[in-house]
Amino acid sequence: MHRFHPQPNPIIVRELRTRMRGGRPYLILSLFLVLLALTGVGVYQLMLQQTRIGVAVLSPQVGQALFKGLAFVELLLIVVLAPALTSGAVSGEREQLTYDMLLATPLQPGQLLWGKLIAALSYLLLLIFAAVPVFSVMLIFGGVDPRSLVKAVILLFATTITFGAIGLCASTLFRRTVWATAVTYGVVLLVVGGSLTLASVWGQFSSPPGQQPPPYLLYLNPFSALFAITGLAPPIDPAMSFMGYADPLGALPFIGMLAQGVIAYGPNGAVVVPIYRATFLAYPLLTVLFGWLSAHLILPYKRWHPRWSDLVFLLLVLSLLAVGYITQEWWLIAAPVQPGGWAG
Amino acid sequence: MTPAIETTNLTRRYGGTVALSNLNLTVEQGSIFGFIGPNGAGKTTTLRLLAGLLEPTGGTIRLMGQLLRPGGAQRLVGYMPDFFGVYDDLRVWEYLDFFARCYGLDGATRKRTVDELLALVDLSPKRNAFVQSLSRGMQQRLCLAHALVHNPPVLLLDEPASGLDPRARVELRELLRALREMGKTVLLSSHILSELAEVCTEIGIIESGQIVVSGSVDDVRRQLQQGSKLRIRVLRDLDTAETVLRKLANAPASSGLPYVRSVQLDLVDPRALVIELEQTDDAEQAALLTYLIGQGIAISEFRVQAENLEELFLRLTTTSA
Repeated sequence: MHRFHPQPNPIIVRELRTRMRGGRPYLILSLFLVLLALTGVGVYQLMLQQTRIGVAVLSPQVGQALFKGLAFVELLLIVVLAPALTSGAVSGEREQLTYDMLLATPLQPGQLLWGKLIAALSYLLLLIFAAVPVFSVMLIFGGVDPRSLVKAVILLFATTITFGAIGLCASTLFRRTVWATAVTYGVVLLVVGGSLTLASVWGQFSSPPGQQPPPYLLYLNPFSALFAITGLAPPIDPAMSFMGYADPLGALPFIGMLAQGVIAYGPNGAVVVPIYRATFLAYPLLTVLFGWLSAHLILPYKRWHPRWSDLVFLLLVLSLLAVGYITQEWWLIAAPVQPGGWAG
Repeated sequence: MTPAIETTNLTRRYGGTVALSNLNLTVEQGSIFGFIGPNGAGKTTTLRLLAGLLEPTGGTIRLMGQLLRPGGAQRLVGYMPDFFGVYDDLRVWEYLDFFARCYGLDGATRKRTVDELLALVDLSPKRNAFVQSLSRGMQQRLCLAHALVHNPPVLLLDEPASGLDPRARVELRELLRALREMGKTVLLSSHILSELAEVCTEIGIIESGQIVVSGSVDDVRRQLQQGSKLRIRVLRDLDTAETVLRKLANAPASSGLPYVRSVQLDLVDPRALVIELEQTDDAEQAALLTYLIGQGIAISEFRVQAENLEELFLRLTTTSA
């Protein structure tokens, strides 16, 4: 009998071998880049339009607008693509009748899950990296804080992994990919659209009416988090209109809709609530929880029997909770009373 | 020698449905065991249990003498499911390479194994072809090869011949014989007895989750055969022969002669008769032959007509149902 030799995850090797076969991956990549480039051109044209109507537009403002536009479009594509790439990962094996053959090998369920997640997300990560040259255009104009850029990239990666983990979990739960995909997008819609809808109507149902939505409502919404990262403090002095929140000069369509719950109005004016800090903590926690669920659901039998891997998951959850507890001063935003202290 | 497969009171229930009930099965090393039964008899459940893909509700499984524990079957058995899938976007060698990686084979061993298996299943010329371009028979052989990448002592093949054309079936039989020569123990299932009769050293017939009969093909035939049939071909005077035999059927058994149940004309051969007897042995058959010759009947052929295994199987499973 053969000896076991440690080597790269076979699932990753197989997926990487086949992922880029045929014309479709290149077509998606090309469309993705074209869409991003068109977004960049569109944003630039919108800024030019401002100058035509007599508004003075500074070069840094063009850079900021490009940053916001491109980051939002890239996040939108990730939110749409990540669940699609993972929701068929395990159910697809069941449907094409290869699942039993995999389970009959010594491949561990964890290896299978890890391999599927990495393989599926590697393509998305490729898309993110491929978009770097498009993003670099904004550096010509300046105006983007490098820290904001880093935070935006972290958010993109975190969203990719978390939304991918949601899809993977659904894929282990359902035998049919169509169900797994439907449920995954249902969850995504709930996280993104549900929280925004709730935030937008919060004031009408709050007591007394007109209250601002609590920030925790939007902790899991990646768009709100990105809005908080890319947003600037709204003008205290209306004369300095170019410092307008999130969307200088109001040039970018729809972006303002994401202000709900992120722009808070206190006695000293409006501030951007840095809810992305909670998002940065919540996403790893969610990923670990979905990973734990998937690791049990993928087992052929004795699904809920305690396993050693549960201890690892428990330690991870406890570590993240401990980090959350220690850093609560940093991420836990109580109420928008004092502007200035939260923006970061 | 330790049996390759040994199950003791193996039981599997799905909710209230009993798929397998107290199965006691022993498969010796180096044998090809045919597991036969109608659809839904419990064949696939048994194979999945043996492959470690299902948890038994009761009973134990021993593979090569080792008590089977969850995840313990993977290195001992190679499993080919009844409805198997193939990764269409992989090339033939990549498909085997993938499964070899799953079993942790190192690079050099992997390459050698892939080459050897492709040669064994006669797919070397298709090495770089995409799996989706292979015929059904070729895919079946490729799937069989995947079950061999880790060189397991036991092979579990669920309906390996289903959907194959006659040529592919012959090729599969040759392949199974080659595997037997390599010392592998093969347990294969089918709902078509004739697929297995030629190649199996032992067979077991399962019906409604229970083994009805098992043993070597001849043993099973003997166990199932109720009475026996003789076929007699006469040179001339068929009517005389028929009359003599019908007298025997109506008369009480003479000393040394078998009890004749019925005499029928052979539908295919106009000069032959088929005689159905009670349980008989060689001495009674010899006595009957002597008696007929003594009656002046010119016999050109006298032989036991074994009941077709297929007929036995149908009769058995129909009776059980």
